[in-house]
Formats: sequence, C-alpha cells, structure tokens
Amino acid sequence: MKILNRKEGSRMKMRGGCTILIQGKPDRHVRNLPAPDAFSIPRKSKRFTFSKICVQDSQDVRRGTVLALDPSSFSVPMLSPCSGTVRLRQNLDHVMIERNASLEKEPDLAEFDFPHASNGADPKAKMRYRLLRQGAWHFLRDVYTTRLPDPAGTPQAIIVSTINLEPFTARGDVQIRSNLSSFTRGLEHLQSFLEYQPIYLIFPKVNSEFAHKMRDSLRGYAWVRLIEASTVYPADDFALTARSLGLRPSAEKGSVWGLRAEGVIAFDRVVSANDIIISRVIALGGPGVPHPTHIEVPIGFPIAKIRELCGITSSNRLISGGVFSGTSIEEQQLGVDVECSGITVLPEPEEREFLSFVRPCFSKRSYSRAFASAIRPRFLERFTTALRGESRACVSCGYCTEVCPARIVPTAIHKLLYQNNIDEVEAFLPDRCIGCGLCSYVCPSKIELASEIVGIRDKIWMEQSLGKAGQ
Amino acid sequence: MKWLLKIFEDLHPHFGPNGQFRKFGPLFEAIDNFFFSPKVSTPTAPHIRDPIDLKRFMTMVVFALLPCTIASVYFFGLRVLAVILVSYAVGGAAEVVIAVLRKEKINEGFLVTGLIFPLVLPPALPLWMVALGVLFGVVVGKELFGGTGRNLFNPAIAGRCFLGLGYPVAMSSGWVIPGAGPTGRLFQYVSASTVDAISKATPLGLVKQGTLTDILPLFVGNVSGCIGETSGIAIIAGGLFLLWTRVANWRTVVSVLAFSFLMASILHNVNPHACAPALWHLGAGGLLFGAFFMATDPVTCPATNAGKWIFGAIVGIVTILIRCFSGYVEGVMFAILIGNTVSPLLDEMVYKIQMKRLANEA
Repeated sequence: MKILNRKEGSRMKMRGGCTILIQGKPDRHVRNLPAPDAFSIPRKSKRFTFSKICVQDSQDVRRGTVLALDPSSFSVPMLSPCSGTVRLRQNLDHVMIERNASLEKEPDLAEFDFPHASNGADPKAKMRYRLLRQGAWHFLRDVYTTRLPDPAGTPQAIIVSTINLEPFTARGDVQIRSNLSSFTRGLEHLQSFLEYQPIYLIFPKVNSEFAHKMRDSLRGYAWVRLIEASTVYPADDFALTARSLGLRPSAEKGSVWGLRAEGVIAFDRVVSANDIIISRVIALGGPGVPHPTHIEVPIGFPIAKIRELCGITSSNRLISGGVFSGTSIEEQQLGVDVECSGITVLPEPEEREFLSFVRPCFSKRSYSRAFASAIRPRFLERFTTALRGESRACVSCGYCTEVCPARIVPTAIHKLLYQNNIDEVEAFLPDRCIGCGLCSYVCPSKIELASEIVGIRDKIWMEQSLGKAGQ
Repeated sequence: MKWLLKIFEDLHPHFGPNGQFRKFGPLFEAIDNFFFSPKVSTPTAPHIRDPIDLKRFMTMVVFALLPCTIASVYFFGLRVLAVILVSYAVGGAAEVVIAVLRKEKINEGFLVTGLIFPLVLPPALPLWMVALGVLFGVVVGKELFGGTGRNLFNPAIAGRCFLGLGYPVAMSSGWVIPGAGPTGRLFQYVSASTVDAISKATPLGLVKQGTLTDILPLFVGNVSGCIGETSGIAIIAGGLFLLWTRVANWRTVVSVLAFSFLMASILHNVNPHACAPALWHLGAGGLLFGAFFMATDPVTCPATNAGKWIFGAIVGIVTILIRCFSGYVEGVMFAILIGNTVSPLLDEMVYKIQMKRLANEA
C-alpha cells in the first residue's frame, strides 16, 4: 500500500484486495428492538475474556454497574446493560441479568478501582478513567496487534476509520449521518489526549453529498489529516494504513491506535454527556435476513430474540463480525457480546448441483474468470456457507499471493507449514498478516490458508510479547 | 437428475468407513462428486468461498485444449480419438489404483494430463506405447512425488520424455500427412500401416535437411507433427482463452515466446543457415503448445512473477539452442524439463529478495 500525496489530504493505494458483493446489504436506518426480559452477556468476545467477576449471584445491579473485568486487557469492564438481578449459575459462560423495572432507574456511575487508570486530579487521566469506566475504551485497538491499548499510554498516532468494508459490519456513514456533530466533537476529545501526534482519518474515495458535507465540516481541523481510501476490501484496515503511512511499531514512540466511527461517537457520549456505553449499533445483513438493516441493541441482547424478531430461520449460520474475519455464533452463545459490530446471516448450502464444473454459471462471480459471470456487469451474489469444492493439495495457482493486501506469500507459508518447517516460516513474515481472509476465499484447492497463517501469526505475536515481558 | 442423486445417496453407506466396499471409497467419492458438487460448509472464517475449485480450474484447461484437439482430428483422423481414449483410460486407471492403495482422494489434475499427453505424441504411435507413456507420466512423473501439486516435472512431459528416450525411432517417425479438403481426415482412421498417409518428417526435421516449410501452413496446421501441436491458430485461440480465465499466467507465455523469438532472431541474423527465421520457429513444432499449455502448468513452473519471467526466458532460449545446435530436432520438451528443475530455485531466490525488501519497509 502506498500513500500518494496530493494537495488536499492523501490518497491511499492498496495492492491486492478484492471486493465481493453479497446480497443483503444493510440499509441506512438504525432500528431499535423491544427490550427483552433478560440479558445474557458472553464472558468471551474476540479480544476479551472477562474472567474476574465483580458481582455476586442474585445481587441487584443498576445500568452501568461493573459486572466483570478482563485482567489480561487492562481490566476492561463489562457493564450491566440494565437494572436487574444478576444470575451467574445458570450458564457459566455468560453473565445473565434479569430485568427488574422496580429497581432504581438512575445509572450506576460509582467509582471503580482500576489497576491501570485512576480518577485522579489530572484532567487527562480523569478522562481516560471515565472512558474505561463507562465502556468506551474498548473501541480502541492497537493497530498492529489488535489488542486493547494501555489506558495510561500515549500513541504515536491515532487512525480513525469512517468506513467498514467487510460485509457486514456497522457502516461508519450510517452512524456518522445521525451524529455528525458528536463525531466531530469526539475527534476533538481524541486530540485532547494527544500532544502533537496526528490523527489520520480514513475517508472513502466517493463523491457523495454526505462525503462533501463531512469533508467541509472537518476542513478547519488542522490536526486531522484526511486519507482517501479506495473502497476495495480491505483498504480500511488499520495495520495496512499505518504501514503505508510509515508508522512503525516502536517501544519509544508508542504504538498506533485505531478507532472506528462508532468509537469516536462513544467517546463523545462519555465525555460530553456523561453517558454509559452499554449498547451497540450492529449491522444485520446477509442473504439470510429478510430485511437487512442496522439495529441498536444493548450488549447481552438474546440472539434467539434477534432471530425471532428479524425472521431468521434455523437453516442459517449467524456470524459475529464480517463474513471474512468474523466468528460463527454457536448455539451456546446466548447474547450479543461486548465487541459485536455486525451479525451476518448466511444460509447453509441447500442442494448439490449437477455437473457444476462444466456449467456456464452466470450467477457465480469468481476471482478467476472461469465462469460465464465474468462477462456480466457486477451484481450482488447470493452466498451460502458452502465450501464450493473439495480440499486438495496446493497447485501454486498464485491467486492468494495476488490478492494478499499485506504482500506476503500465503502459498509459501502454507507449504512450509505443511512440511512442519516452523523455523523458516518466520522469514516469510506471517506476522504481517492482517487476517482479511481473502487468501482462503480465492483458493481453488480450498486450503484454510487464512486460519493457518493467523494461527502462526498469533503464535509469533505471543512469543514477541512474552519476550518483551521477559526483558 | 434427482434419480441419479438418489442412487448415489443409496450407495453411499456401502463405500463409507463401515461399508463392504470401503476400499473403493476414493473412487466412489470421485464419481459422486464428479456428478454432484459436494455439500460441505466452510469450517472456519472466511465463511464464504469463491466458486472456483480444482475441477473447474482443470476443466478450463480441457476447454482451452478443445480447438487444437478438434483441429487434430480434422488433420490426422479418428485415430487421434483412440489415442486420447487410451491415455485417459490407462492413466485414469493408474490414478484410481494409486488413490485406493494410498487411501487418498482422486485428484482432478489427471483431467488435464490425460488430454495434454496424447496431444504431444506422433499421430501414428502404437497404442501400447501411448499406454506405457501415460503410465510412466502418471506414476513416476506425478504420483511418486506425492500427486498433483507436489510433482517437480510436468507429468505429460515426463511421459513423453520417457517414450522419446526409450523408443526414439517410433517417436520420430509415424507422422501423418495432414488431411485436406472440407472433411480432412475426419472420417479416416490412419495408423502406421496406412502406408500412403505416413510422412517421413516434420517441418523441424525438414529444416535440418535444408528445406524450409512456409510459415502459413505452420499456423493453419496442415503440416506433419505431433497430434495437437501443428495448428498454431487453434493453439493460440485456446491459449488466449486460458489466459483470459486467469487459469494460466500470461507472464510465462509472453516470456517463453518473447525470449525464443529474440534468441531465434539473433541467431538467424548471425547465421541464417544455422537458424530459421524467428517467426518460423514460433510456428514450428511444439513451441506454441508448450508455451501456452505446458510451461504454464502452475505446479511445475515458478510461483513468483519474477520467477515466471526467468523461467520463460530459460525455456525460450534453451528451446532454440537445442533446435539449432543439437542432434534433436525439437527442444521444447527438454527446455521445459530444465525449466521445471530450476523453478524451485528461482522461487527461493525471488522470495528471499521480496521478503528482505518487505521487512525493510515499515
């Protein structure tokens, strides 16, 4: 990825990448669902494991009470989404709250003793404490490791992305549209805990009225640098942007933080309105949803209720996050987790196609041009969870290398892993993998390249962080 | 086709891990999945996948080979079909036996090898030699290395090389005089015993004796030569289709053709007696066929783009050198084998440079 300088802001050019158009793009509206009687908050999400429970069974809690902490992620809290009674024993993987309307309505903002942030006199430290306490800090991420940044640390730069290209996660423009002033105020708050470090704003390269309006409203902010990104997946990736900006992860300068539009708005809600962030706007899309849209739900909102209210049948797979990097929501998971940004609903494969390999196939879009759809203009495809083939040995077709935006060579890494040659794998820089999943997507041999590379990448990251801790 | 699907579903338990025919599981699975695409879901993220699979991938090569196969039936008669049939039958049987013995799945790579191999043989070659060659190509050239994807050499070339070295006389005679007229030899069966149809030499053989064939017939295909290699136009048409589908990489093709053209023009300008004109070399023998269909085999050519350019250069240059300065009349086969040998090395070199560069960036 390269940054091309232009007069106004910069334009980002990515190598590789691929846009896949899936049926069921969520519309612009954000709908609310009727409140359920009980919430079940999973104790595990993509980055967090809330292993330290801070409440007792049958204890009455209020909206915003700290229910649990993740000690391995700077004690990020899990907050209660409503007033009610805690149930811990019914399901050990969840914290359940039975809603109780008779309890006090006022939110619980009681001071909490975090090991990594304190409610001191220093206004900057106080703000960080509030962001952590009121549930906005977990929107932040270290762009290289995706882990939660230290509330006491200072980054060398912050990257704010207004686009979400992975289908389907909550679209930035949907959230900003109704909260433009909140978004710009949020950027100001972000600036206040930096000293001279810049904020890079990833902005889609589109010509719409809304985009112009946003560009105008940000024109006066000298410390915000606009970066135009293409709309090819995954041009919105934080690590790719940081690398193309020449920001290296370093111990002295600090890490680079990333934040999406929803995070900026959450920051403003905490700082300006003293709000508690206990709900999330999530995209509900995919071919299995009758009416794809955005919904705002409190964390812990029952998945079964979403299925029921949105008319999702049981022959579908629910995926938390996008279809490329998300995780499938298993039956054991009862509620929306604290990090959920979208639920994509994909039908399971229905029937076996007769002699599919010699059919022209006008309705199947492929990265290769081996299907008749290659002569058709772009269209939305009805995807299912089908593997669409059988797993075979790698034939070195080179699609994965071509499509990889991180410029690594998935096929070479796969072959070394197949030989169990762990020592040499590191020379192929699997730690650069951004986990976009495109290599697995395009593979004709149906090799699980992405999960293999992400696996080895996480091992390397773990070793690196252990090494640092050892020093 | 529901009745057929039902038959497969009914038969499935017999070939499963507890069935009485479990040994033939790979064969059953291959046939079952040949007719009906498997109904398997993605195990991990990404949850959706591209529709292309290896079957489709290989089928595209077979489609691309159709023009020159049809042209060869027109020029050399129905025996071409018999040769192809023997190749598919014997090679396919070998593939099945090995899959059953190794308890592995039957790979689609054979769809291509089974068709490419007969296309690079003389049209009147005895059928038992076709069988022997394909057997060597599949068993030694591919399966001993671990099957499709793990072979070092192009299996079809390995088989042809075996025949070329083992039966040099049969492999350098048995050429058929191409048919002409509206039906060509479409309704004839020309074998080695059809004396009046057998030719002594191909254009590449004739040029060694000082007779230069016109360029136009080389591209039309009405010259003697290997079954699928004579019609330049049909090869180019199929080859361009293959490049357009992205199944073959254009870099290899361009590099082979450009470097052989360059080498031949240099040699022709230095000594016109030793080397025929460059365009003539492109059309003669198996250069076009080799460049479009054999050098582009993704498994045995380098995986890196830079590697593909160098590989193409090696194949192109070596082909012309062998044609002009050795006892062999045709050099494509050996050139590609040499290229196959160095491709892992080329990849390693390119990867080293690439990764060093990437690591030095931010």
